[in-house]
Amino acid sequence: MKTLQLTSLVALSAFTAMPVMADDYPNRPIEIIVPAPAGGGTDNVARMLNQYLQEELGESLAVLNVAGGGGAIGVNQIARAKPDGYTLLSTWNSPITTVPHMQRVQYSYETLTPITSTSQSAYTMCVAPDFPAETGEEFLAELQNNPGQYTYGNDGVGGTMRLAAERIFEAYDIEARPIPFGGAGETLQNFLGGHVDIYGGSITPALPYVEDGKAKCLLVTSADDNEALPQASGLAALGHPELETVLWRMMLAPEGMDEQRVNVIADAVASAVEHPEFQAFLTSQGETLNLVRGEELRERLHQETVAIGETLEKLGLKKN
Amino acid sequence: MFDSLFNALPVALQFGSVVSLFVGTLVGILIGALPGLNPVMAIALMLPLTYGFDPVIALGLVAGIYNGSMYGGAIPAILLKIPGTPAAIATTFDGYPMTRNGQGGLALKTACWSSAIGGIISAIALMTLAPLLAQVTLAFGPTEYFWVAVFGLVSIAVLVGSDISKGMLSALLGVIIGLVGVDTISGAERYTFDSLYLSGGFDLIIVLIGLYAIPPVLEMAEKSNATYYDAGSFKVDASGNALGLIRQHWRTWTRSSLIGVSVGILPGAGGNLAALLSYNEAKRKSTNPESFGTGNPVGVAAAESGNSADNASAMIPSLTLGIPGNLVAALVLGALMIHGLQPGPQLFTKSPDVVFGFMWQMLFTAMLLLLLGGMVATRLFAQVLRMPTALLVPTTLVLMAVGVYTVKGNMTDLYVMLAFGLLGYLLHRLAFPLAPVVLGVLLGPMAEQNLRLAMLISQDNWGSLFTRPISQGIIALLLMVLFTQAWKILRKGRQN
Repeated sequence: MKTLQLTSLVALSAFTAMPVMADDYPNRPIEIIVPAPAGGGTDNVARMLNQYLQEELGESLAVLNVAGGGGAIGVNQIARAKPDGYTLLSTWNSPITTVPHMQRVQYSYETLTPITSTSQSAYTMCVAPDFPAETGEEFLAELQNNPGQYTYGNDGVGGTMRLAAERIFEAYDIEARPIPFGGAGETLQNFLGGHVDIYGGSITPALPYVEDGKAKCLLVTSADDNEALPQASGLAALGHPELETVLWRMMLAPEGMDEQRVNVIADAVASAVEHPEFQAFLTSQGETLNLVRGEELRERLHQETVAIGETLEKLGLKKN
Repeated sequence: MFDSLFNALPVALQFGSVVSLFVGTLVGILIGALPGLNPVMAIALMLPLTYGFDPVIALGLVAGIYNGSMYGGAIPAILLKIPGTPAAIATTFDGYPMTRNGQGGLALKTACWSSAIGGIISAIALMTLAPLLAQVTLAFGPTEYFWVAVFGLVSIAVLVGSDISKGMLSALLGVIIGLVGVDTISGAERYTFDSLYLSGGFDLIIVLIGLYAIPPVLEMAEKSNATYYDAGSFKVDASGNALGLIRQHWRTWTRSSLIGVSVGILPGAGGNLAALLSYNEAKRKSTNPESFGTGNPVGVAAAESGNSADNASAMIPSLTLGIPGNLVAALVLGALMIHGLQPGPQLFTKSPDVVFGFMWQMLFTAMLLLLLGGMVATRLFAQVLRMPTALLVPTTLVLMAVGVYTVKGNMTDLYVMLAFGLLGYLLHRLAFPLAPVVLGVLLGPMAEQNLRLAMLISQDNWGSLFTRPISQGIIALLLMVLFTQAWKILRKGRQN
């Protein structure tokens, strides 16, 4: 009798403890919300990463593109999802650190669970071959000397590229006219057609035209120079590394996701990105690996949110 | 360039590619035929499955789904007045009346041939003129886009039919729907009523499904006591041989395909605009414009060749410039990048097999429509009409709801779809035309955004709108359409 009691006690305790001890997360497909349309940069990188991530996790990952509101619609959807680790967010920085300053949203970097950042890339500014400047310094000087004359295409009000440009222009007391387009593709079209003077956008779409000699890219918005654009100066080379504004990507989860599960995903991402094919893909996209996890990631989000808030305030764009 | 083109032919004809062409086209027709499911979603779902394969196979699937769905959208448009894809809206105008007149089989056949011809002409344009047409794309700045949008809006005058004031009100309603959301130029929120959902604006697909697909379903439900069709009234192949179709429609096909190709090379315009403009032109050129809307096969031919001719040509800016012309083109670019290919002018020299192979695939899938389209549409889908309304109505509603829900997994989208459905039903009941609503939603924001971009660039110099040669050309066309239409109306008024 005593043995029976003991065994049943052991059996019972094993049973109740099971969900914690033998958490076989994940054991069903995970939904990844991408707050951008299918086929864009964020979507491509997320889908590519998913390929290797699902090998690591042994479960399939399904991408749901929830575009709109500068990414706010998709992030809002994740903020309301169950924090069980089966709905995750794969986003770039703007919906988290910029959009909340400009629109009402129902989330904040303080409440979302940070998992890990993945990669980042700078923006570039390019001009036509006959533009009277050959270096980053000359480019900024030309803009300084001709206030209000040059137009630069960018990714719209509150777009990260526009913020990156405005931060630099403010420091140099430059007055250039922003023309807000829908994104890098549209900006490129208008730049190549001669409708705007300066291309402002991600590096990859501009690369073929640098190779062709149809564009000179003179500035990148990261502190470091960029290997793919030898003519462009990084901000450190110009003496202003603190003005760096880059596009970076991360995975987040709803508030309250179990820490163990967060680690499962973060570890899986850390090994997935080691895949040489993924790294080759990142290089072709002009992106570099950047893995920051957990609270450190939250700190990065905090600092960027504050810095962007200040820039937006000066531009008169801050609403919240 | 032609060397590379023919060198790529064996690539497009290898076993894997051919299989993917067949599978893609079939899937495309099915996806297109189911309202709510759209090619963008299907391609986004299928592409990741092909990352491990040769890019040629992935692109074969894309080409098939893309071309197949353009025709697939016409099937429910013709049989049930429910456009399977937004681009098939113009197909309902005459396709559905044809079915009601007992000519459903002929309408499907006409749509199939028109889609195929439009697709073939467009693919040939892509193969032969891509680099040249890409230069045209670049010549279009905000000023030119503004005038294109105005041209489209003016064509509402042709679409409105008898009651001009109702047509104008419909168009205005469309513009207001299009205005909702955050203004991309100032960042200001418009008509959002502090709702986060509205700040993103209405999703075009959801609005169009609501406005166009739900009212016909409700109409069907009204007649629930009877079978919607008399099973015997639908004759599948008793109508129209190929030669007869070609003789009847070649002019329309040529004109509409040119319109489709021209709209296609402008990123952001799209197949629905191509179809509506083609339909308008066919109606305007017709000696018997009154027959449009009552079951004139020319209307179906114009709409279907117009929207299919948009397809391959929308790939021109993406393949030659690296600028995606629409969401499908963006996915193709994404797929190329994932396979390590860099879109842009060098793509043609660096990976000619893939690019030219894809062009062949676009051509072959357009041709496959003739084979598969006839089979699937007439043998399989036409049977839908034999279903009793009591089954057809709920099935269609469920399919649409599932389709809309899968786009974003958001319940609010479904409520919005239903709300627009009721609005569409109300408008239909009050005899307001729905086509101007669509043009308003599409073109109102396009005209506004581009006008403001043009003003930003020229620093509020209004004269700049009229000085550039392409703008002047479009203005001339626009005045021509406007005056001929005004003259027709005046003459008709005098006769009465």
